Amino acid sequence: MSDPGSTPPPEISVVVPVVERHGDLRQLYSEYAGEIARLGRRAEFIFVVDHRQRQVLPLLREIQQVAENEVILVRLGGMFGESAALTVGVEQARGEIIVTLASYFQVDPSGLEPAIQKIEAGADLVVGCRFPRVDSWFNRLQSKVFHSIVKLMTGTKFRDISSGFRVMTPAVPRELPVYGGIHRFFPVLAQRHGFDVRELEIPQRQEDAVTRYYGVAVYLKRLLDVLTVFFLLKFTRRPLRFFGVVSLVLVIPGLAITLYLGIYRLLGLGPIAQRPLLLLGVLLVVLGIQLLSIGLIGEMIVFTHARQLREYRIAEIIRHPAAQLDVRGLTSS
Amino acid sequence: MQLSVVVPVYNEEANVGPLHAELTSAMEMLDIAYEVIFVDDGSRDETLERLLVACEGDPRVKVLRLSRNYGQTAAIQAGFDHAAGEIVMTMDGDLQNDPADIGRLLARIDEGYDIVAGWRRKRHDTLLTRRLPSIAANWLIRRLVGGNIHDNGCALRAYRREFVERTQIYSDMHRYLVPLLTLSGGSISELVVNHRARRAGSTKYGLSRIWKVAMDLVALKMLLRFSSHPAVWFTLLGFPFLVVAIAAAIFSAYIYSFPGESPIVPVSICLIAMFATVNLVLFGMLAELVVRLGDFRESEPLILRIEGRG
Repeated sequence: MSDPGSTPPPEISVVVPVVERHGDLRQLYSEYAGEIARLGRRAEFIFVVDHRQRQVLPLLREIQQVAENEVILVRLGGMFGESAALTVGVEQARGEIIVTLASYFQVDPSGLEPAIQKIEAGADLVVGCRFPRVDSWFNRLQSKVFHSIVKLMTGTKFRDISSGFRVMTPAVPRELPVYGGIHRFFPVLAQRHGFDVRELEIPQRQEDAVTRYYGVAVYLKRLLDVLTVFFLLKFTRRPLRFFGVVSLVLVIPGLAITLYLGIYRLLGLGPIAQRPLLLLGVLLVVLGIQLLSIGLIGEMIVFTHARQLREYRIAEIIRHPAAQLDVRGLTSS
Repeated sequence: MQLSVVVPVYNEEANVGPLHAELTSAMEMLDIAYEVIFVDDGSRDETLERLLVACEGDPRVKVLRLSRNYGQTAAIQAGFDHAAGEIVMTMDGDLQNDPADIGRLLARIDEGYDIVAGWRRKRHDTLLTRRLPSIAANWLIRRLVGGNIHDNGCALRAYRREFVERTQIYSDMHRYLVPLLTLSGGSISELVVNHRARRAGSTKYGLSRIWKVAMDLVALKMLLRFSSHPAVWFTLLGFPFLVVAIAAAIFSAYIYSFPGESPIVPVSICLIAMFATVNLVLFGMLAELVVRLGDFRESEPLILRIEGRG
């Protein structure tokens, strides 16, 4: 890499996390670099390589040597997962526009042009939605089920949030760090944060059409991720509203059971000591108290950090309404 | 700048124009340096456009456009964060508050109060879905959380700037802002204000908030009274359980002295109660840790003004 002072900074930073499987990186690079060159933009490519995938480094160094664009290799010391790799890569990015790609062909590079246009027209994040799809009915079914769960839990209408193709302004990762393995839900979180998130249909590539079978553990983890995001979206400010509901659901039957048994015993209808129901009632009450306390502690955590909270995001401040009117007319369309 | 008026607006296209006109004429009578901060909380109708047209050329107006609908609390906090006035006022964007009351609130602040809250004694809203829940909620807030005012829902209020600077509100907390501010020890006054029927647009409230209010009150009760020493509070909460546990233990021993009687029931009561006690004490310690790590200090004194220093 040359002295940063000598070359102008790139306009577009392409971040590719090489973490799990990866496709033909040379072809991936050349097609995307070719498309960016066709658009007449200066680009830098940032490959973030996980320790497991270190065997691709020689290949990447070759690309680095022959490439016309600046190619930056970031080697991670361990296996930190895709979210971490993305975060690291995005931190290195210097472009006005950041493009993240999966490390194999998911969508056609032709999607770059409309995506960049959308960003330049004011969108903050453009998510590539693989459409039309060329892969198997099984993949599509998995995706459909997953997205309908996401829609149910988060109220967003994304059709393909798992797609690695995302184009964004640097403000998005700066204000909303990706963390904890939920990069998949980045569009949902970004929208919630107040960013203008759009979906863009881009033809799916044949290379992405491999039928994917996952183990039960993967599906379970996905489901837990959805639940985490659901909790993050709804209750991070008000944990007691969530824990309170769960607590109530447990305490009410618990109290009903103990009350029933108490009356049963007092009326002399029979002994209750050997009945398992007693244990159940007691357990429910205790669990309910626990959950309520956890909710209260959650509230305390939020409240004591309130000064660092900012709940809103300002899109624009209009100081002299008259002067701004014409500008708005141009940009809002 | 003497006064900042913060007005959150959400889908109030029919009201923003008249509101700006009324505000301007009310302010002209007062003759003070002021600014109006409209916070457009992600309106989906023509609120922003009509607001900009209405305020065209008015240098005292600042419009904050939030990037989506965040709710009233966030909108108010955004306004607070951008207010420059010595006195900060809030009012609704639906014309139900009367801008003509602003002068009276200011006069009350001049009398030496730190916070002046409007009281809509004669409300023009539907009885069943708006007024009755409001009466119940206010009663509960007074009883549980304090603040001692009749109308926690009235948006028309005036604060000395030091008080709004100190507090960060989030998630519906604007309803409890007055009780919250009592933490800082401000003197609060209540003033009966004019409340008008809605002329246009529709109300943004419903009955769905009862559960939320209930849970918020429980949380706030804890936060306000014990957030500086949560261990004490949790231990106090555990104390009744401890009493029950000891009583149940004695009772089981008593039953055990009769041959043939099984003390399982009092023993299990004793166990639950003990368990709950230990849990609460441990949670209290955890909470204490949380508070120590946070940046909230209940006992931190609020310095209103340091005089005589250049």
